[in-house]
Amino acid sequence: MRTRTDRRKWADALNGYLFISPWLIIFIIFSLISLGYAVYLSFTEYNLLRPPRWWGLEGYQRVLEDELFISKALPNTFKYVLIVVPIQTFLSLVLAFAMDQNLRFQRFFRTIFYLPSVTSSVVISLIFIWIFAPQGIFNQITGLTVNWLDDPRTAFYVIMGMNIFTTSGTLMLIFLAGLQDIPLAVYEAAEIDGANGLQKFFYITVPMLRPVIFFVVTVGVIGCFQVFDQIFVMTNGGPLDSTTTITYLIYKWAFRDTRIQMGQASALAVILTLIILAVTLLQRRVIEGSGSGAER
Amino acid sequence: MNRLIKLLLILTVLALGLSACGQTATQQPTPQPQTVRETVTVKETVTVKETVVVPAEKITVRLSGWASSPAETALLESLLYKFSVENPDILVKYEPITGDYKQVLLTSIASGTEPDIFYVDIFWWLELAANDALLPLDDLMAASGVSRSDFIPALIDAFTYEGKTYGIPKDFNTLGMFYNKDLFDKAGLAYPTDDWTWDNLREAAAKLTDLSDPNKPIYGFCTPPDPGRFPVFVFQNGGTVMNSDYTDTTLDSEAAVKAAEFYTSFRTNQIGALPSDLGEGWQGTLFGKGQCAMVYEGGWLIPYLRDQFPNTKYGVVMPPAGPGGEGNLIFTVAWGISANTKNAEAAWKVVNFLTSEASQKAVLESGFALPSRQALQNSDYLKNNPNSAAIFNGSFFGAKPFFWGAVGSDVNDQMAKALERMFKENQPAPEAMKQAADSIRKAMR
Repeated sequence: MRTRTDRRKWADALNGYLFISPWLIIFIIFSLISLGYAVYLSFTEYNLLRPPRWWGLEGYQRVLEDELFISKALPNTFKYVLIVVPIQTFLSLVLAFAMDQNLRFQRFFRTIFYLPSVTSSVVISLIFIWIFAPQGIFNQITGLTVNWLDDPRTAFYVIMGMNIFTTSGTLMLIFLAGLQDIPLAVYEAAEIDGANGLQKFFYITVPMLRPVIFFVVTVGVIGCFQVFDQIFVMTNGGPLDSTTTITYLIYKWAFRDTRIQMGQASALAVILTLIILAVTLLQRRVIEGSGSGAER
Repeated sequence: MNRLIKLLLILTVLALGLSACGQTATQQPTPQPQTVRETVTVKETVTVKETVVVPAEKITVRLSGWASSPAETALLESLLYKFSVENPDILVKYEPITGDYKQVLLTSIASGTEPDIFYVDIFWWLELAANDALLPLDDLMAASGVSRSDFIPALIDAFTYEGKTYGIPKDFNTLGMFYNKDLFDKAGLAYPTDDWTWDNLREAAAKLTDLSDPNKPIYGFCTPPDPGRFPVFVFQNGGTVMNSDYTDTTLDSEAAVKAAEFYTSFRTNQIGALPSDLGEGWQGTLFGKGQCAMVYEGGWLIPYLRDQFPNTKYGVVMPPAGPGGEGNLIFTVAWGISANTKNAEAAWKVVNFLTSEASQKAVLESGFALPSRQALQNSDYLKNNPNSAAIFNGSFFGAKPFFWGAVGSDVNDQMAKALERMFKENQPAPEAMKQAADSIRKAMR
């Protein structure tokens, strides 16, 4: 009898693995093995032309002593996360709340707000390059003469603004789904108690959305730590390194420099992973710890 | 009874399957001379004709480069076609790489799948040679009677490492001073000549600048913070970017600092501008639009102007000499052969054909690059095209290759940043150049 149920279990498990095998095979080959290899490379000196040579922690030490990393890439990345994540979370929450009311042309607006998210980031980057060119639309409308993308004081903020613009739509959709889950009865009860719209938003919507907010913030933080393509297309890390982030620095060391430093770049990639891991754990404690946690 | 029949059935099926497998297994290793079986049915009698076809021993050679323009690709393909006619035993597979060429090439070398022949850029070829990824070509050259002296010395020297030749320059460019004839006429100035100096350049820039129309300001001279332009001024001031063995930078030397002061003075005095000031990424466009009266650019600007700005009248002279004499930069690309190639001789045949005088003449006459062979200096094409001739001849006057050693990209970055700090943050030249040199030295360790 026992062997029989065991066999059933095995068969079930096998069936399950069979069904996920296409994804599993791709994951193992392109993610797990590459990840493991990257961790191995982070302990080596590797220029792509000669086999990797064991280096121990030298690569990590070089990263932590690198001027560009310490003075530009690291602070820039944190600045980016700290500015973009709160704004895009709040903006998309407000948008979702607005889209949840019975407005006219609701579907039209939902589509409009979501449109930037389905457009390729390279295309949006190019459009932003034109908008913020010295003779671009933005300067013509505002009458300013700022060279937005070529000025170290402004370039990074343009990229931040663009990222908020593109991701808010997706996050809005996630919030919208979350809003549908809040029972109407709660709002009705609040109305009977005399709560106004603002109070309902801050005392019902926001607390009830806590798990969704955690998800949105986590995804946002991870995405912001990994910002690359917009910077690659728009500024190449310039002007004067003002838009160099950790991921751009990884790319620069791994592929762009004359002397390829794949080991050092891998070390930085591992460090970035650890940073993201630490920040995610921390915010999980903050967001979940502050509430009752019962909703989950 | 029933069971027995079932068993028998299964056994026979298995046996059939096994025999089938056995058959295919024995058939699999096909011999090199292919056997073609022709089955001809003639009035119910079946005869099997066996003909043995021995394929000609064809060597396949893979060749890669970036594809900078359809016209250039077409030229290469036509040359390769000519080669295939003359050498039917060698099959050249052209595999152009789009996107980031160096990145693709390096990863293919890392995985051992690189092409036999590929472009190597002057800026990073030494990394490949120093790591034994390139084949030294001297023996192959000697065997087919090709001498280093057939090529322009500055070009062939640029691809030499520890006394060995690692690449045959396929073409090159230097910088010429492009000037807009209409703007010179409007300002009542005589056209520049090859004997101009820095003083002439400054005076002309002042006279050509016309900022009366705020929507279309005209500047005399464009000074991009570009590490592919600025070093010319350092050379012309008697300085260098790196020391002779590339172990140290000389960007904080007196000559380089003074060159930086001269280069940035145009914008400070409002007689020059950066392309980004005028909303463009490249000064070539501004030259075509008539917003930069003079620019230092390479021969690539000639076909661009022909296509995009056919009405812009212009001329090209060699860059004006500075206090330290003539100076110029050489941009060049060579054909290199992989050190891991299995067909070195066939690969060399291809390279030798592509850099032969006949092929080089075709390159020259197509108009987008200059040939690396000395013999073509007196060709009719250059006599009839003074603009191209100015750029060709630039290689003989104080021209140094666009190459700064193993930390080349850092040197480029730091030069660009030093210029940007001077332009945008008004940092004094000595301070900016010192900061650049310090950063480069740090990157060198």
